[in-house]
Amino acid sequence: MKSDWERVRMGSPVITSLWRLVKSNPAVWAIFGLIVIFSAIVPEKFLSSSNLVAILKNFAVTSMLAVGPTFVILLGSIDVSYMGIWMLGGALVWLLYPYLGLASILIYPIFGILVGLFNGMVHVKAKIPSFILTLAVTAVFAFLTTYIRNVSGVLTLTVPAYNFLRESPIPYLPSPFLLALPVIVAALFLMFFTKLGTYLCAIGSNEEGAKLAGINVEKYKIMAFTVSGLLTGLGSIAIFVHLGCQTRVDFDPSELVRGLAAIVLGGTPLAGGMGGPHRTLLGALVYVLIFNGLFLLPGVDPNHLKLYIGALLMGAVIVASRALRGVLIA
Amino acid sequence: MNVGDALLEVRNVTKTFNKVVRALDNVSIEVRRNEMVSVVGENGAGKSTLMKILVGVYKPDSGKMYYMGREVPFPENPLDALRRGISIVYQEKGVIPHLKVYQFLFLGLEDRFTRLGRLQLEKIIGLARSVFEELGIKCDLASSMYELPLSTQKMVEIARAILNIKLMVGEGSNITPIIILDEPTAPLSLEERDELFSYLTSLKKSNSFIFVSHIIPEVITFSDRIYVLRDGKLTAHHDVRSEKVFEEELFKEIVGRASYHELWARYESVKVRDIDKKPTVLSVRNLTKRGYYTNISFDLHEGECVGLFGPAGCGKSEIARSLYGDIVADYGEVIVDGKKLKLRGEPHTRVRMGIGYFSGETGKELLLFWPIRKNLSLVNFDKVTKSSLKIVSVISFKAEKSLAERIMNKLRIKAPSVEAECYSLSGGNKQKVSVGKWIERAPRILILEDPTIGIDVGAREDIYDALLEMKKNGISMILVSDDPKEYALLCDKIIYIKEGTSQAVYTNEEFRKVMGL
Amino acid sequence: MAQAWISREWFQRNLNTIIPISGLVILIISLRIANPYFLTSWDSAITLIYGMAWFMVAACGLTLVILMGSFDFSVPSVLKLSAMIFAVLYPMLGLYSILLSLAVGLLFGFINGTLLARFNIPSFMVTLATSMVAEGAAQVISGGYTRIITDPAFRAISTTMILGLPSIFYWAILVWILCIFVTFVTPFGRTIYAIGGNIVGTRLAGINVKKARTLVFMLCSLLASFAGILYASQIQGAHMQVGVLDMIPLFASVVVGGTALTGGVGGVHRTLLGVIIIRWLDSGLSMLAIDLNVRMIIFGAIAIVMAILTIDRRRIKIMK
Repeated sequence: MKSDWERVRMGSPVITSLWRLVKSNPAVWAIFGLIVIFSAIVPEKFLSSSNLVAILKNFAVTSMLAVGPTFVILLGSIDVSYMGIWMLGGALVWLLYPYLGLASILIYPIFGILVGLFNGMVHVKAKIPSFILTLAVTAVFAFLTTYIRNVSGVLTLTVPAYNFLRESPIPYLPSPFLLALPVIVAALFLMFFTKLGTYLCAIGSNEEGAKLAGINVEKYKIMAFTVSGLLTGLGSIAIFVHLGCQTRVDFDPSELVRGLAAIVLGGTPLAGGMGGPHRTLLGALVYVLIFNGLFLLPGVDPNHLKLYIGALLMGAVIVASRALRGVLIA
Repeated sequence: MNVGDALLEVRNVTKTFNKVVRALDNVSIEVRRNEMVSVVGENGAGKSTLMKILVGVYKPDSGKMYYMGREVPFPENPLDALRRGISIVYQEKGVIPHLKVYQFLFLGLEDRFTRLGRLQLEKIIGLARSVFEELGIKCDLASSMYELPLSTQKMVEIARAILNIKLMVGEGSNITPIIILDEPTAPLSLEERDELFSYLTSLKKSNSFIFVSHIIPEVITFSDRIYVLRDGKLTAHHDVRSEKVFEEELFKEIVGRASYHELWARYESVKVRDIDKKPTVLSVRNLTKRGYYTNISFDLHEGECVGLFGPAGCGKSEIARSLYGDIVADYGEVIVDGKKLKLRGEPHTRVRMGIGYFSGETGKELLLFWPIRKNLSLVNFDKVTKSSLKIVSVISFKAEKSLAERIMNKLRIKAPSVEAECYSLSGGNKQKVSVGKWIERAPRILILEDPTIGIDVGAREDIYDALLEMKKNGISMILVSDDPKEYALLCDKIIYIKEGTSQAVYTNEEFRKVMGL
Repeated sequence: MAQAWISREWFQRNLNTIIPISGLVILIISLRIANPYFLTSWDSAITLIYGMAWFMVAACGLTLVILMGSFDFSVPSVLKLSAMIFAVLYPMLGLYSILLSLAVGLLFGFINGTLLARFNIPSFMVTLATSMVAEGAAQVISGGYTRIITDPAFRAISTTMILGLPSIFYWAILVWILCIFVTFVTPFGRTIYAIGGNIVGTRLAGINVKKARTLVFMLCSLLASFAGILYASQIQGAHMQVGVLDMIPLFASVVVGGTALTGGVGGVHRTLLGVIIIRWLDSGLSMLAIDLNVRMIIFGAIAIVMAILTIDRRRIKIMK
């Protein structure tokens, strides 16, 4: 058996690299399995073109919430400020549209960078646990968004002028997906073709060793948070467009869990040191497939969504916890 | 000796910490081209302080440095040292387990391989391949560091150090890199050590090495010259190429031979005759943990102290920690009082069976921000609580305080009061607090791991006194240490462990004879 | 000696105490200035107690977990679920539904603690997951509808007047004193502090760390559950909005009291002050007609600032 495989792998470098991908990413099996299962049970619903487009859209949204924070998770820290950046960033775009015109969408990445810088500085210099810090930041931003909506007396913070972004030039590829693509490419580039990815893995794997190797650990930690903020800011544009050129105005923990679940399902351990955005993309696809397929099944009540999400996250972290054996964690 | 033939020389280096502790006292060493110089000594002899001065982590109080015959200032920081061709491979913590081999090899050097913001992976991997070919390392560049055998990890680290110097100084210049190896063999098995040393010998053509160690045989076999440090002073210098150096002689130079008769007398004073006839409290049968130790069996009698002796990394400390439940052995039996212990048991189950564990690593063991009082009562809750309410037990602060005062007097712990926070104490006093809690608890078996590591002589004697008294009171002990003196002082039976298997069992007398004490 | 007292070092050492006390004084003065009728009648004091008491019960539990260096995100969700179970089952089971409700709380704590201690998953992750499950369960049980119970026995649990004060006040004080007792003078309490201070050393000292951590999480969820029962009784029912906005104020009141996020520093006794400050500030701000969202923003900011101030940086090597 094995020798057969070896021969096949020897023959083609494409197969070799594909085999490596599958071998090191169990999420690939999960994706494959989910597709087979749902195609077998509800083929006419699951494989319809409208559903596949919906999957692509949801994949774009989920992955845009998760790729940024993955860089922070490489450190072994965590960044959940993506909810806050997405919500308040959209509110800022709406607020500034009358003054800046179409350029106001640029607020998103700028705001993302600023929030990321703030998180990084406070986490590194004041030594606050990153989860609590970024969660508080998200909460503050979320309430601020709701407040802005309440004060302005409108129901949604919609900027109709961006509606042109909603039409995709390519059939079957929805525009949120197209908008997400450059962010995905940027994330993969940062991970594999700059020293940033290597350094973050090094810090997450062995912080003292990284220091001994002459890496400015504090600087790169701050940089990880900043990159996370920037990518989330850029990615939020795709979500903004997906939601009909508006932002979310009420805080929902299940959206928060979505990003974390994608990261954990992708197989990036919370202890840091390995993994990366490529795994998160796979994890996002798993997440989307599970919930897309689940609600196509008869007898599944969408009102119980939170229950399922919680159970899924619990299962995912238990599976992912194997990487953390032997370490006592707070 | 002519200054000219030395590549690097330091003269009369003195370094004092906190204005009191003299870590280095007037030490001079030199390194020539293409040789391996060993610096040997016990823990705390000043080896690592000297190395840290050479790579610019510490600044010496006084002393001079010469490089190729010219006087130069001491390096300001590791980068500065690197520019002069000096690099260090740390004992541990240097390897970053999750990085790929080529990523680790070029960690910190990425800027040289970046064009238009893009890392030139092909170039890096290509260069890594040629470096490995040149230096003779065989491994898959794309595998992660943790997947490699430990010896290969060390080789990659050495290659990284050489590469760092080469790139920092410039490829063309004919500088000879000086690589400092800080206890490189500690975690390695015997074969891995041989592999590493033959590798180092092959690298000697173009590099010089400073080899820091306390493992005598390998020092004699593989180095060209040997410097011996004891208590911060240079006590001996041997040129292995021109004189024959014997292990026993070197050993005596390392540990000093002042107080051996006294040691022996103290051991004899608490020795119990026919200790083998006493009841067995602990028996270990075929205990095995894959990759660490295999088939370890021994009996521990009441009031007996068994020493597990062997080179660092031989598995002795893992055996001790498995007995305490800190790590889990794969199979085998541990029997206490005829009851088989679960191998998977956590430390608290062991404490319930009357086993205690004490290590010299106070940072790991103590709650440094707690007062002495609370630290002492942490394992002695039953002594300081009264269950007057039947259901709940309540800590009595009075009992706690008197207990703490008793132990402080007994061990001569120097602290303002029982309320003093432990982090403010000196290393020796911290260790006394750490051992004090077990004195009060009086377990039937006490596992000691490096009980006096890195503390001054006075505190060490106090701790020995306390341990000997416990032994006299019938407490059995298992000792793991790096210091042969400790075995000679405490142990009735010494099991010599090499590569995880027990090689020989010595009595105290035999052990002293073997070690030349 | 008098000079040494007010030294910089003394100030830094006691920062955890100085900030909450001075905060409370400033708060009282400024509320008084903003609203001359503030706290002038006994009724308004009782209203304040109703606002603080159930909150205090939940905050005590959270403090225990934070003292251990962990975090419990599921407190408000368990609170909601318990209130919901109590209200939904009360018509069928009467006061026995309290037991069931507390049992569910314990179960959630057990799940949290087990996943943390046995599977070694970071506590925030575990509790985030269980909080989603609890939210979902509350939705399933109630069908999303508000339950109103008018039975006086249901109400009596927290509103019976004893010596001019509602019973919920005594419940809260009882829980507070019990928690102080446990943390100060019992070996178990000592263990909580020890785990927060140095978990590795605590384990090596022969203390069953897994059991202790699980127990603390169970205690926290039990108290959250009890708080839910008290709250349901106080508002005569339960609805899906219970607890939704409580996480930030809860967290804020624990850190404002002076309990450090890194664990091992602070205590339940401090949380009373934190709860008084946060709840008083809340009611004061709402009296000034300040938007709910703005209040949350203020609490979030207070929480971050206090977390920065109270963390004992000497003991951190690597912060994740």
